[in-house]
Amino acid sequence: MSKRKAAPTAAEQKAREAYFTASQRQLIWQRFKKNKSALIGAWVLIVLILSGIFSPFLTPYDPTIAGRDKEYMNGPPEIPRFCDENGCSLRPFIYTTVRERSIQTNFRWVTEVKTGLEDRRYLQFFVEGSEYKLFGMTFNTHLFGVDKGQIHLFGTDSTGKDIFSRTFAAINTSMAVGTIGVFIAFILALIIGGVSGYYGGWIDSVLQMLTDTIRTVPAIPLFMALAAFIPDTWSAEMRFFFISIILGFIGWPTLARRVRTHLLTERNQEYVLAAQLCGASSSHIIRRHLLPSFTSYIIVDLVISFPYMVLSETALSFIGLGLKDPVNSLGVMLQNVTSADVLLNYQWYFIPVIFFIVLVLAFVFVGDGLRDAADPYSDSRK
Amino acid sequence: MLQFARFTATRAALAVLTLLLVSFIVFSLMELVPGDCAERYIAFKNTQGAVITTADIEAERVRLGLDRPYVERWMKWVWNAFQGDFGDSCILRLNISQLLGDKFKISLGLSLAALVFAYMIAIPVGIYAAVSKNRVVNNLLRLVSYLGLALPNFLLALIIMLFSTVYFGESLTGLFSKEFRDAAWSWAKFVDFLKHAWLPIFILGWSATAFAIQTVRALMSDEIGKLYVTAAEARGVSGRRLLMRYPARHALAPIINSLGFDLNRIFNELPVVALILTLTEAGSLLIDALAKSNDQQLAGAIIFLLTGSIVTLNFVTDILLAIMDPRVRKSILR
Repeated sequence: MSKRKAAPTAAEQKAREAYFTASQRQLIWQRFKKNKSALIGAWVLIVLILSGIFSPFLTPYDPTIAGRDKEYMNGPPEIPRFCDENGCSLRPFIYTTVRERSIQTNFRWVTEVKTGLEDRRYLQFFVEGSEYKLFGMTFNTHLFGVDKGQIHLFGTDSTGKDIFSRTFAAINTSMAVGTIGVFIAFILALIIGGVSGYYGGWIDSVLQMLTDTIRTVPAIPLFMALAAFIPDTWSAEMRFFFISIILGFIGWPTLARRVRTHLLTERNQEYVLAAQLCGASSSHIIRRHLLPSFTSYIIVDLVISFPYMVLSETALSFIGLGLKDPVNSLGVMLQNVTSADVLLNYQWYFIPVIFFIVLVLAFVFVGDGLRDAADPYSDSRK
Repeated sequence: MLQFARFTATRAALAVLTLLLVSFIVFSLMELVPGDCAERYIAFKNTQGAVITTADIEAERVRLGLDRPYVERWMKWVWNAFQGDFGDSCILRLNISQLLGDKFKISLGLSLAALVFAYMIAIPVGIYAAVSKNRVVNNLLRLVSYLGLALPNFLLALIIMLFSTVYFGESLTGLFSKEFRDAAWSWAKFVDFLKHAWLPIFILGWSATAFAIQTVRALMSDEIGKLYVTAAEARGVSGRRLLMRYPARHALAPIINSLGFDLNRIFNELPVVALILTLTEAGSLLIDALAKSNDQQLAGAIIFLLTGSIVTLNFVTDILLAIMDPRVRKSILR
């Protein structure tokens, strides 16, 4: 259309060369950076993942029953404040609460908040508390705490466990379950999709028939049936791994199909023929030549399938067939919230839900952004 | 005509084959549970004070046909299952078909209603989103569809319950009012059922709606820029008439194909939503069977029936598509 420009400057030339010589990964990153919502999602995701990993340090108490506060059960969130009628303080504080039962309270347990000057609990940073393990080392410093008693930013549940600590531990659990699940789904998909796509023919037909059949069975009911096999005697860790494996089975059919479609188109390319003529074995060709040709697409698919894993785990645990108590996850935390008592009186049980919606949304945004970035035609399609 | 008959026959054969495979998976799951029915019956008798020997267990096995080979028992189970008979649950000692009967029909009704609800909203909204250049509308729809994924149905159900309990003092649970719970089906009961059913239908349809809007929008956007639409416009067709007669007809055909997967998605949510809203239908029976009583016979029957409905729907949509689009008929018999 326009007239051809005069010789480009050296800088322009270099930029253009950089574009043509850029690797697939650099190109994807270039396009991904332009997508604002995906970039924000990525930051949120990084923050959440890090806070999940470092949750024992960031949260003041042990999220299991060992960290319960006997003095503050079903307690509402305590928000640190600077001022009250007794004057202000530079260091934020919360009030002391006391649980008591006497003839005055009609012999029922009543929690009383004391607002006197001497009942203030001051917020402190880097306090020593319960021991925890991080990267194989034992620490006991927590980011924040109070000088006496305990602080519960998100309140406590019916046994006095700190909901703030449990929320972050739950993020960690969800990420771990999701990662193992995605990993298993990935391997299954590579093997099944790879074999089916590479060999084609009747092997392909049989495998596709199987995959389609498994895709028609509603996943959650089927996995409920599988999860019901877990004996009650299993430890929390065993349960955790079994559930992760079950979740791995959710993702593979979709992924396997993608791998197969790619392989079916790629295996007729000339570079495959060249490798075959050189005497390369089938597995060598699949691993070294075919898979690298669409690694980026596989990564995108993995990111997209991640939220499904997390949500399925939540659903399974919520029903009572997934993870169980000493392990924290959103589903475990939500197990008892459907009672009218909780709905009417203890709404802070729902605070973790917000974190999970944000977590899943972040994953969806990043996944969508990556998919658009990895698709070389995404610009022209719009 | 002959071609159409052949197409139908192939599809039917494929559907039956799928069901057979599913039944094998389900049957294996039932068999893998430690302890068979004979042991459970005998264990029950034992609690009643009878003295039991291993010979008694063996005799019971023979009586129940549990000594037959695996494949034979599977075939028998499938044969009965296709006739709607799933045998007895050995924990509840009740006939499963009787136990499930109405409850499964309610579940299926709720799910299909949710499916209809989803598309009744998704088709007009999706078409509008594809046509309109309004940024606000488009961004709003994007947000809704993202929330459809991030806010799974059961969290939505929980949140709706939270609000209705706090602000209206009503928990909106259950499927029937007290006076109708055990009554036979009548018009009054049906009306009462509808009064309760709107919430589960809405919740079950929620994420399906969000997905469907995205699909309709994408399909419509692809179709709307094509030349035949411009040509029709040049001939003077405009407005809704143009949209419905030209791009929408082409864009909406692929949706029929995805109905089966949408039903699958809705079935996935069924048990959890049933648990939250305390619905008395197949979803809650499934949870009872798996989480509480470990009753694999009942669970297997429910899973088989759910999958059966999906396979049936897929079959029906395939036939529908073939009636509408002659290209499909040919493509299947390559």
